[in-house]
Amino acid sequence: MASATARLPGLGTVLGAQVRYQLTLLIRTPRALILALALPGIMLTVEVTQTKHQVAKSLLTAEVSGLIVFGTLSIAYVTYAAGLVAAREEGILRRWRLTPLPAWGYFAGRIVAAVVLADASGALLLVAGVALAHLHLTAGMALSLLLADTVGALALAAAGTAITPLITSVAGANPVLVFTYVPLLIFSGGFGSMTLPHWLTTAMSYFPVQPVIHAVSHALQPGGGLISARDLAVLAAWAAGCTVLSVRYFRWDPYRPAHAVQAPHGRT
Amino acid sequence: MTAIVVRDLVKRFGVLRAVAGVSFSLAEGEVTALLGPNGAGKTTTIEILEGILAPTSGDVRVLGADPRKGGRSWRARIGLVFQATSLDLQLTVTEALTLYGGLYPTPRRVAEVLDVIDLTADARTRIGALSGGQRRRVDLGIGIIGRPDLLFLDEPTTGLDPEARRRLWAVIENLAADGGTVLLSTHYLDEAQRLADRVIVLSGGQIAADASPDELRLMGGLPVIRYRLPAPAPDLPGGLAGHVAQGRLTLPSHDVTADLTALVGWARDNQVDLTGLEVGPPSLEDSYLALTSAPQPEGAHHG
Repeated sequence: MASATARLPGLGTVLGAQVRYQLTLLIRTPRALILALALPGIMLTVEVTQTKHQVAKSLLTAEVSGLIVFGTLSIAYVTYAAGLVAAREEGILRRWRLTPLPAWGYFAGRIVAAVVLADASGALLLVAGVALAHLHLTAGMALSLLLADTVGALALAAAGTAITPLITSVAGANPVLVFTYVPLLIFSGGFGSMTLPHWLTTAMSYFPVQPVIHAVSHALQPGGGLISARDLAVLAAWAAGCTVLSVRYFRWDPYRPAHAVQAPHGRT
Repeated sequence: MTAIVVRDLVKRFGVLRAVAGVSFSLAEGEVTALLGPNGAGKTTTIEILEGILAPTSGDVRVLGADPRKGGRSWRARIGLVFQATSLDLQLTVTEALTLYGGLYPTPRRVAEVLDVIDLTADARTRIGALSGGQRRRVDLGIGIIGRPDLLFLDEPTTGLDPEARRRLWAVIENLAADGGTVLLSTHYLDEAQRLADRVIVLSGGQIAADASPDELRLMGGLPVIRYRLPAPAPDLPGGLAGHVAQGRLTLPSHDVTADLTALVGWARDNQVDLTGLEVGPPSLEDSYLALTSAPQPEGAHHG
């Protein structure tokens, strides 16, 4: 039997185990790897192969930036939030909630794992960009990119957490998540700049995708640098706002089918 | 010491009253079954005790604490097996046990748990590749790896084939032999009889009976005369003939001597062998059906 006075494992140990656990889940989820690593890599290869010697380096840099943000969105928003919904609906979140793991420990593990994979995706795309398109890269640029990608992934994961209470089933996760991120990615210039009404461009600057694209593009420009204060402020506001919403509305228990009303919430 | 104290527990879902004034307590080391049909309030009661649901009214103490306010140390003393399997299918059995074991102060060794749940041979198998019964045993392994003082098992064998059920029963019996307190919900009578020291029968959100399995059998009412009739059988006397179904006489008897006299007289007159004749208390099933088919209190939930 457990001793009431025995000491619980340290939070650092528990957090380390959570990060390994979540990374294991991501690495063993083919959809995550395809969306975060394979798809952006293939798109970059096709793009570079087709347009080699025909486009300016600045355009290639913009394309690499867009694909890095696409990979980050895929892993830190779509895969992260879909995984959270699946864990909730399969009762896994409920189990964690009733273990000695603090609630923040679960999220910390999940978010750190998403950030690590997003950064790995960005690094691979960068290596591919250098190898295939001869992008100019310095250590400072790489560090700026790492910072931009990490800050962006944190804000997107916060948004992904906040949206999960609106998704009531595993089947509903991808439509909702894709509907919320694809327009933002397109209108924010993730797949190339577009001519848009001024109001729409302005509106996009307040959503969390365009600031990440700006920050990543900026990091890859020769003479560029760290994420701008405005972009950082927008992302921080999203992270803070979504965290507040999640604290208030996040749901640990599965949604129950409507037909279970007679036996309340499916309980007997 | 008392592991669980429940007083006047009520839980409403809108206008439905799932639990309607339940009171009981569990001593440490006791294995208790919550028995009842679907909609009786078993899972709702267990989820309140686990801290998942808040009661509408009433007082609940589990290991000395309000389950809704139990902190990390309290949760480290509780083990859970939910009604539905809740596992990460991408992990291997060993990975899952190691991960959850790492949360507790004095976890069991993974090899020991694998042995208890009889999955040593599948230790490196991903959970997604296991059968339903094997996954249920992984659920149980996670439930016990922290050496819980109190283990909640919510219909742990529902949906399992007979062999898988018996394997899981053996695991639970081993746990009980170690002195753990177990609260088990089930709607299988044989499971309650096999595993529990005590059975609390819930019906319509209220306690219909609270007794040992043997005592429960006696609560079903009249003693029963049972006899498998030969085929073909001569016609029984009028008072007995109405209690034959599928070639078997099952007679709840107000006067055992008189009914047996009538049966023996019939057997002698017709030269019928009475080998197999039984007289005894009602079966657990008889008692259970009598208890759970009683009229429910007004406003209680029927699911």
